[in-house]
Amino acid sequence: MRVMVAIDGSDESLYALKWALDLLLVGPKDNADDVATSTGTATLEAPHAGSHENVSMVTLIHVMQPFQNYVLPAAGSAELRKEQEEKAAAILARALEICKDKMIKAETLILRGDPKDRICEATEQRHVDLLVVGSRGLGMVKRAFLGSVSSYCAHHAKCPVVIVKPPKESGKQ
Amino acid sequence: MAEGSENKGKPLMLVAVDDSEHSFYALEWTLDHFFAHGTNHPFKLIVIHARSSASSALGVAGFGSVDFMTSLEADMKKSTGKTVQKAKDVCTSKKVENVEVEVMEGDPRNVMCDAVDKHQASLLVVGSHGYGIVKRAVLGSVSDYCAHHVKCSVMIVKQPTKP
Repeated sequence: MRVMVAIDGSDESLYALKWALDLLLVGPKDNADDVATSTGTATLEAPHAGSHENVSMVTLIHVMQPFQNYVLPAAGSAELRKEQEEKAAAILARALEICKDKMIKAETLILRGDPKDRICEATEQRHVDLLVVGSRGLGMVKRAFLGSVSSYCAHHAKCPVVIVKPPKESGKQ
Repeated sequence: MAEGSENKGKPLMLVAVDDSEHSFYALEWTLDHFFAHGTNHPFKLIVIHARSSASSALGVAGFGSVDFMTSLEADMKKSTGKTVQKAKDVCTSKKVENVEVEVMEGDPRNVMCDAVDKHQASLLVVGSHGYGIVKRAVLGSVSDYCAHHVKCSVMIVKQPTKP
């Protein structure tokens, strides 16, 4: 089963990753001792992806949003892009650590564009079996139960989508 | 509850079914992906069927003769029974034994939320009719409601669109 987890750097998305790894990814752990990673948009064909139901590979997807159309000198925008890419790499590094701790192979995918569209496209292009999203991420609106990207993906992604709710504050789990 | 000791302490997955094709697709997909490989499954499974009461189906309480209500009730019981049996058959065909199928009466939205609370489920699985925005707004959507309001994580399984 190919699982993709959307990571935006929020605690919610990292919690969703942990939840997915704990609950959804079961099976023989003996072949998941290495953490295979690839950054950037290069696709990596995992050797056992999709060949058996016990998932051993997860794709972590992070989408960088394009900048607003500020008037920037050319040099300035390149710097901003670099900063954004570094931030993305840091966010995914944290996510990869989590996967490593749980002994799950993970690959990363960093894209640029509108997160909702990019994530849905990626699930189709990569024949993802299950997409995992947190319920609210960076664009947290206090009264919203479901963030806009998660909501969009739940409706529009063609594959099954898991919306992971945050743990209850009262500690009852 | 009559499960074997292997079911103790496992996280619980609730699958919502009604008589629609897409909810059964969701059940089958879940069974294929999480309940394959023999008897040691990572989850415990309960299938929930929400059945509206006859009076709510009619919309107006007490409308019509007693006979009409009785025959409507009987009809609904029959169709509920069929759905329950169908769910059990699907599980058996996928070699998943001892699946509890529970019928709860009421609006599916509330039934699902209550069932999650009652059973302390870790995951609720719902199908999705794939309605567009307008239809969804007008007709309402159980999967939407659940995605927003249910306390546990929700898995929305869509039937692949026919090419």
